[in-house]
Amino acid sequence: MTVFTDVKVLIVEDEFTVAMMIEDALAELGCRIVSSSSRVPHACEIAETADIDVAVLDVNVAGQPVFPVAEILRRRRVPMLFSTGYGVAALPPAFSSHPVLSKPFSDRELQQALTLCITANSAANAGGV
Amino acid sequence: MSNVEEFPIEARRTTEYEALMSAASSVLNAIPGAVYLCDHEGWLVRYNDDAARIWGRTPALGVERERFCGSHALFLPDGTPLAHDVCPMAKAVYEGAEAHNTEVVIERPDGSRRTVLVNIRALKGPKGEIQGAINCFQDISSQKVMEEELRHKNADLEDFFENSAIALHIVGRDGIILRANKAELELLGYTAQEYIGRHIAEFHADAEVIGNILSRLGRGERLDRYPARLRAKDGSIRHVLITSNSRLEDGEFVNTRCFTTDVTNLHEAEVGRRESEERLAATYEAATIGIAEADASGRLLRVNDALCRMLGLSRDKLLTMSFYDYTHKDDRERDAASYARQTRGELDSYVLRKRATRGDGRTIYLDIHSSSVRGEDGEFRYGVRVIQDVTAVKQMEDQIRSSEQHLRVLLEALPAAVYTTDAEGRITFYNKAAVEMSGRTPEPGDMWCVTWRLFNTDGTPLPHDQCPMAIALKENRPVRGAEAVAERPDGTRVPFIPYPTPLHDEEGNLVGAVNMLVDITERKQAESRQKTLIDELNHRVKNTLATVRSLTAQTIRHADNLDDFLVRFEARLLALARAHDLLTRRHWEDAPLESLARDVLTPLAGEAAGRVMLNGPSIELTSREALSLTMALAELGTNAIKYGALSSETGSLTLNWHLQGAAGSHSRLILEWQERGGPVVKPPTRRGFGTRLMEGCIEHDLRGEFDLVFYPEGVFCSISIPIWVEPA
Repeated sequence: MTVFTDVKVLIVEDEFTVAMMIEDALAELGCRIVSSSSRVPHACEIAETADIDVAVLDVNVAGQPVFPVAEILRRRRVPMLFSTGYGVAALPPAFSSHPVLSKPFSDRELQQALTLCITANSAANAGGV
Repeated sequence: MSNVEEFPIEARRTTEYEALMSAASSVLNAIPGAVYLCDHEGWLVRYNDDAARIWGRTPALGVERERFCGSHALFLPDGTPLAHDVCPMAKAVYEGAEAHNTEVVIERPDGSRRTVLVNIRALKGPKGEIQGAINCFQDISSQKVMEEELRHKNADLEDFFENSAIALHIVGRDGIILRANKAELELLGYTAQEYIGRHIAEFHADAEVIGNILSRLGRGERLDRYPARLRAKDGSIRHVLITSNSRLEDGEFVNTRCFTTDVTNLHEAEVGRRESEERLAATYEAATIGIAEADASGRLLRVNDALCRMLGLSRDKLLTMSFYDYTHKDDRERDAASYARQTRGELDSYVLRKRATRGDGRTIYLDIHSSSVRGEDGEFRYGVRVIQDVTAVKQMEDQIRSSEQHLRVLLEALPAAVYTTDAEGRITFYNKAAVEMSGRTPEPGDMWCVTWRLFNTDGTPLPHDQCPMAIALKENRPVRGAEAVAERPDGTRVPFIPYPTPLHDEEGNLVGAVNMLVDITERKQAESRQKTLIDELNHRVKNTLATVRSLTAQTIRHADNLDDFLVRFEARLLALARAHDLLTRRHWEDAPLESLARDVLTPLAGEAAGRVMLNGPSIELTSREALSLTMALAELGTNAIKYGALSSETGSLTLNWHLQGAAGSHSRLILEWQERGGPVVKPPTRRGFGTRLMEGCIEHDLRGEFDLVFYPEGVFCSISIPIWVEPA
């Protein structure tokens, strides 16, 4: 799994147990957790400033939609994937092309989504250059 | 006459002319009448005094002679001027023509005229030659006047007979009609040919009547206005009165003269009057409605049985009363005022509903229709009052009115918008709820719906004439299962279900419709809330499963052995489940901290539950706070029962909490976990998963502070979390 070595990840997830599981799974893949945020305002700050390769975003964060964070990341062309208990329908059309993980998900599903996310983004960037 | 020998002059006899010429004047004057002679040339040669008298002049016989006539001027009887040289005398002289009783008119110099009867003869000589002519004339002026008078009289009589307005006929002794005038013919419709010459009996409808008439007339009796019936040509029977007498000559019956007066109309009128009188009387008594006649003061003059029954009073009693006597005192004045106007002629009639008191004291309602009978002079004679007992009707009307009122009140009170329309869709009634729901008061002429604007459930506009009510009316069927949204003038919208239902009369004709609009705002809100809840629950369940999955993985990773896994995992799962229980009971809204702590710690502590003390003010936690705090307290509790104070018989646990800072955004909840009296505590050699979980739940999830210290006398843990407390 060298492909994820030193990949810098932002996690936005309000539930610690779930965040912890994602953190552990990503760490095992070789990723580095830039931040694991449980609040949208805080996550926005991180998304704006930190050096991030990919983001795993819970859709509903302590009662608030995560999309302000997603907007920043898109502007910064940071690939992202969503994890949600609501299903794909919860995503607004602007973000419906991004990979979605339906809770609960397995480590394997997380890995596949992450792969898809990074590969697609690399392809897009390569095409653009 | 050439073969006749002429006698010598001396030998012949004197001719008439010569004789007359030679006669003395006295001879001519002796003739009883006017006489004059003309010679063969027409010259007037002799005349007598009578002639001069009639002429009114004495014509000269000498040198200034005159011809043909001694009159001043001549005229024919019809007044045409007659020249002397063409008068009868001239014709006699020239042509030998005689005149017999020819009438001419002589005008005298004074202008007066005389009618004379002229007789002229030519006087001839022996050889037949005209020697002259003699004219004898009589003044017949006075006869003429009489004649004229007679002629006039006759004509008058004829005219009288013929043109008399009274039918007249003359019947001979054999009963044959001799004459009949126009009036008679017109009366019966026959022509003179059809009538005259027939037997009078043929035209009588009653044989014995004409027999009687003829025999009486035959005896010379007079008939005066004798009633009979004649048969007219069209088959109808004419009622006539015959006035007749017989004309007898020398005691002999000659004929009868009959005046026939047509009284058919009179007869019919009489029959009609009698019948109508009888009918009226029959109607009066048979009528099921009351009829009364009253004088100007209201006193009853005549009443029928129905009125007696209606009022429960006898006829005799009623005829001593006025109609005011039985009228309820509160209605008396109204009736009296109208009746007074009627008797004065200001009103032809009036209608009135009033109360009356019956003989038995019961009050009844009467509808009065009062009218007047007036004389030819217009004077009030009596009032006719038609009276109907409408007590039952009145009661029914009252009932209907009260039930209508009741219905109205009911509809008003109904907590649903209700309105009605006529068959065309015009709004006829609406209740308060309709006004409230539509946010406006319907205006006159509004059609189909009380609402301001309508929309379909998908938000597209719904024109009023296509709304469910319009469909119900146009298709004459109730519409069910429809749903629409009404917009009020203030812009707010109300989702509703309409129940339009056509209304029919007894014959089944569509007369309108009633619609009930049920406001389903709350249901819609409930549906929306439910959808949110289901979404939330789904989210919650999925998150919880993710949590469980994480806990499972982490617990396995850090467990010393299977038994250790079981204890820790079970504790974590049950704590989670209890927190869920508590939140579910409170609909995932706020949960009290004390209940939460007790629910988590009591089952963990088991027998040691009595040594667990909870102290603190009443605090409400959000579901998020409740779940995270549950996880932390479950970890601390498990540790306490496994290794800490609650693992011994003597140890105790105290959980104190208090609020720090002012109520509002900057409050903090401080919880202090203190174990005492248990085994001596040794700090763990490595940081376990439990500690990480607690820290994560407090610091990550709640952005709080978590501090755990392993004092030898007991574990102490301090938790501080920001909390929203409603300002008092």
